[in-house]
Amino acid sequence: MEHACICNGDAGAKLNTMFAQYQGQPDGLIQVLHGIQETYGYLPRELLTRVARELEVSSGEISGVITFYSLFTLKPKGKHQVSVCKGTACYVRGSTQVLGRLEKELKIKPGDTTDDGLFSVEVVRCLGACGLGPVLTVNDKVFARLKPEKLPGVLAKFTQVK
Amino acid sequence: MSTYKKMNILVCSGAGCISSGCKDVYQTLHEHIGNQGLLEEVRVTQTGCMGPCDMGPVIIVYPDGVFYRRVKTEDVLEIVVEHVLKGRVVQRLTYRSPETGDYLTSQQDINFFKQQTRVALRNCGQINPERIEEYINNKGYCALGKALKDMKPQEVIQAVKDAGLRGRGGAGFSTGMKWQFSAGAPGPVKYVVCNADEGDPGAFMDRSILEGDPHSVLEAMAICGYAVGAQKGYVYVRAEYPLAVERLGIAIDQARRFGMLGENIFGAGFSFDVEIRVGAGAFVCGEETALLASIEGRRGEPRPRPPFPAVQGLYGKPTVINNVETWACIPPILLQGPEWFASLGTEKSKGTKVFALAGKVVNTGLIEVPMGTPLGEIIFDIGGGVPHGKHFKAVQTGGPSGGCVPARYLNTPADYESLSGLGTIMGSGGMIVMDEDTCMVDLAKYFLEFVQDESCGKCVPCRVGAKRMLELLERITRGEGQPGDIELLEELCHGIKSLSLCGLGQTAPNPVLSTLRYFRKEYEEHIYHKHCPSSVCAGLFISPCQNTCPANVDVPIYIDRIRNQDFAGAYQIIKRENPFPVVCGRVCHSPCETRCRRGLLDEPLAIRRLKKYAADYGVTHQDEITYTKSKDNGKRVSIIGAGPAGLTAAYYLRRKGYQTTVYDAAPVPGGMMALGIPDFRLPKGPLFAEVNDIANLGVKIVLNTKVGKDIPFEQVRSASDAVFIAVGAQHDHKLNIPGEDLKGYMSGVDFLRDVNLGRFPAISGKSVTLVGGGNVTIDAARCAVRLGASEVNIYYRRTRQHMPAMEEEIEQALAEGVRINYLVSPTEILGENGAVTGMVLQPMKLGPFGDMGRRRSVPLDEPPSTVKCDLVIVSISRSAEVGFVDGLEEVLRSSKVAKDTSTGIEGIFTGGDCVLGPATVVEAIAAGKSAAVAIDRYLGGTGQIVEPLDVERKYTGPVIEEERSRMRAPTLPPEARIENFTEVEQTYSKEAAVYEAQRCLRCDVRD
Repeated sequence: MEHACICNGDAGAKLNTMFAQYQGQPDGLIQVLHGIQETYGYLPRELLTRVARELEVSSGEISGVITFYSLFTLKPKGKHQVSVCKGTACYVRGSTQVLGRLEKELKIKPGDTTDDGLFSVEVVRCLGACGLGPVLTVNDKVFARLKPEKLPGVLAKFTQVK
Repeated sequence: MSTYKKMNILVCSGAGCISSGCKDVYQTLHEHIGNQGLLEEVRVTQTGCMGPCDMGPVIIVYPDGVFYRRVKTEDVLEIVVEHVLKGRVVQRLTYRSPETGDYLTSQQDINFFKQQTRVALRNCGQINPERIEEYINNKGYCALGKALKDMKPQEVIQAVKDAGLRGRGGAGFSTGMKWQFSAGAPGPVKYVVCNADEGDPGAFMDRSILEGDPHSVLEAMAICGYAVGAQKGYVYVRAEYPLAVERLGIAIDQARRFGMLGENIFGAGFSFDVEIRVGAGAFVCGEETALLASIEGRRGEPRPRPPFPAVQGLYGKPTVINNVETWACIPPILLQGPEWFASLGTEKSKGTKVFALAGKVVNTGLIEVPMGTPLGEIIFDIGGGVPHGKHFKAVQTGGPSGGCVPARYLNTPADYESLSGLGTIMGSGGMIVMDEDTCMVDLAKYFLEFVQDESCGKCVPCRVGAKRMLELLERITRGEGQPGDIELLEELCHGIKSLSLCGLGQTAPNPVLSTLRYFRKEYEEHIYHKHCPSSVCAGLFISPCQNTCPANVDVPIYIDRIRNQDFAGAYQIIKRENPFPVVCGRVCHSPCETRCRRGLLDEPLAIRRLKKYAADYGVTHQDEITYTKSKDNGKRVSIIGAGPAGLTAAYYLRRKGYQTTVYDAAPVPGGMMALGIPDFRLPKGPLFAEVNDIANLGVKIVLNTKVGKDIPFEQVRSASDAVFIAVGAQHDHKLNIPGEDLKGYMSGVDFLRDVNLGRFPAISGKSVTLVGGGNVTIDAARCAVRLGASEVNIYYRRTRQHMPAMEEEIEQALAEGVRINYLVSPTEILGENGAVTGMVLQPMKLGPFGDMGRRRSVPLDEPPSTVKCDLVIVSISRSAEVGFVDGLEEVLRSSKVAKDTSTGIEGIFTGGDCVLGPATVVEAIAAGKSAAVAIDRYLGGTGQIVEPLDVERKYTGPVIEEERSRMRAPTLPPEARIENFTEVEQTYSKEAAVYEAQRCLRCDVRD
């Protein structure tokens, strides 16, 4: 009952297909967690017991995997996900200043979400756009050759259309 | 199959170009071609990465191979109308050579492409990665066909062995051997895995291959499956590469449809299929045993080897794991033969290697060159060198497991062995170029943060050791470093290296070890002097400009005073730290501006010109300035040399109460400021006003007195408690070629001295030739123009970007009609009747890199040429003449002068050009200050020569973050400069100065 609310509708149908595909296959764990996170933006705890049951893995093991991989999150994210690249190329071209300014503008640290739920910030290790650093992405949109002074303008694009 | 088209337009759709907006360019192009009804004749194709990310979006128009860069949607119509319809190349969108300024239309003319050999990247940027037909058209799946039809499995393995292919993921293990082990391992079930968990920050070749040519990887995996007896393959891709996952998925579907994957491939009875596994953000999963654990759905923790995966890998079965780039090399090896592949590269490192050029380099992007290509060629010829006129400091290779290579090793061949000899590794091929703005201690900290974050936590040395090292580095970069920290770091490094379980931990200390090896001085600066020379470690400086100023001037505060129209206040702020604001406002090489953060946004603040405005105001409004004098302390200091170093020392020592006497051989005070810099750059009036300020404090200046000749040194020494020797570098070096004794040969310094003393040489109507590339040469040339020379030619052995002279000066000289000839070196001065008539010049070229990272100039295999001239002025380098002090020459020769200017000879201090060689005014001022500190301490004082500035650092107006270019200062038009020595650069108006000052970002205000 407790997870009836989130297993309904399209999302629920998608989940059911996925669980059918990986039924009884513990090695599908990471792919299943990806599927859930893609659907909900995070990993709702109430779904994890179902994962354990369907794939036949222990809850402890699931927890171990989730905490090991940095992409998985148990906390809901903001509406817009801001990822600041701190790969070496971006670092050399000033990503530290970009991140500093972002923290100042949004008043949050990496890993957190703004009070209005609009933005989450995370640090990523190399997006592979090294030729264009410093780089950050907001959702899927890439902002290249960033300068700290340009950040207010970048964020404004996402605050205006709430 | 596609039909023949008259024109093919390729639009790069690599991740870099997508970020730059290539999708819209493609759409617009497609629409315009359609609107013109040309879709039958012109094909528009989206390809994978072409390489030059920084120039994106890029497109190439075939059949001519015309290369357009930074194409915007609004440029597309012009390309269609001009190029497609009328056959006229749109020049403004083509590549412009930074050396010659010429537009290079063809891709093959551009250095970035010309010097590459593309094997792994052969199809990237050439085909549409989402259409298997295009891959097949370029010989795709032919190698698989050849293997299945014509070769036995063992023959395939032998070919890979013979090719000498080594793993491109980093370790460089023989690929053929890996296959052999797996083939020989018992059991019916085996696996083939592609490691596409490209975690090394700064490397993106695997991403580009998967996005630009996914079939090459699938084909190679199938070939390997056939060779070792596996039927199933996995590609493990990082989740950060969604486009690679998408295109790989499309490729797998198409390959299955075309029968290149699946059952009974090519009817040869061999079956093979591939599945994608997406990672979830764990760097350690690039380690093969961790990667296998992750494919199995578990935590990606490494396990000890042996057993190696080739014998016991995925699900405990024999598994071949190769990296993406390694796989991409396999099909050409089978098609073109192992001998061909082995003929590329070096003895032990065969074939080619893809490098990802990033960081502070002009042409960022992906390139592929034969193994063994010198690092310098990759960075400077292909990469175009360091942008914005900055200097190359080091290149970081191999990601967090690698190290840094400093400038003196730029001739090193990029191959496995040579790089490991320098304490770094090839790794996956990331090459991150760093300039003087990168702090090596902070860089080490950055990598330690990374490793500490990514350590899987299984073994203690890596998990705890990395953390302890990081804490140490954090302490050092906060300015809390202690003696012994470096030794402790080294001890930890060696412990972690030898005790960690997997490659991640074993190589984690490399960035620290390598920066300690090549940049130990920077660590010492941080620990012992609490100084970060690159202005990165925020706790160690006020602002980058102040931190970079050799004289330590508090730039943001005086800029703020100017902004608030307190010009006398600004002048006094400068004068606290620098007794020569008027001089530095005119001739300083302003290193502060090269570090100005505003330069990242639009242009650096015009700090020097603002200083000039404040200085000129101060000199002409002396009534608004207050000076404090100290009481005599009864001690006496003599200073030899009234140049910037000597007078600066005198200024501060006098203010501390010392009785100070300055001796100089010249008839005027100021040293090179008065005798080496012409009036059109630094008028004597304001200079002497500043010298007078010093004299007015009570400093005694004795002119026309050469110590050691006019009076004995012993007399000076015995009359003082300490002596500061600041005689400069007056002795000009000769070229050591025939003809230097001819009449009409002069040294640059002698020539400028004569001009400055009004003894104008009679050169009207004569042809003047100068040799050298520094400020003295340029100043002398500009004097010659003003003295009516018929022509003035400078000959320099390197190229313009190597000239040590200030860029602004070079431009002024050219505007005044001076001609500069590059890449020539004089071999003889010709004469008749004892007078100069000409010079013989050898053509030169740029050769290997020298110790400072500058290319050496070496003779070209061409005959010398002869030029006619009446006067030859040479200024190549200078040194000091200090024979009048016993033992001082030896101290200078063996570089034994301490940083604080003490010499080891009791009571004798020395600094400025006589120690540094010909340097700049502000460096001499810095030396003078050091001497004042050292002498004060030596004579029992505190060494504090400037009281700390008591000022609140706060914004006094809005910070302007919109782009705003710097204010230009007006200059005299060139035609008004000839035949007079009037100052060329004019001072800002009040309004201009205030406007420019408003551009300051106030990096000193911290919140």
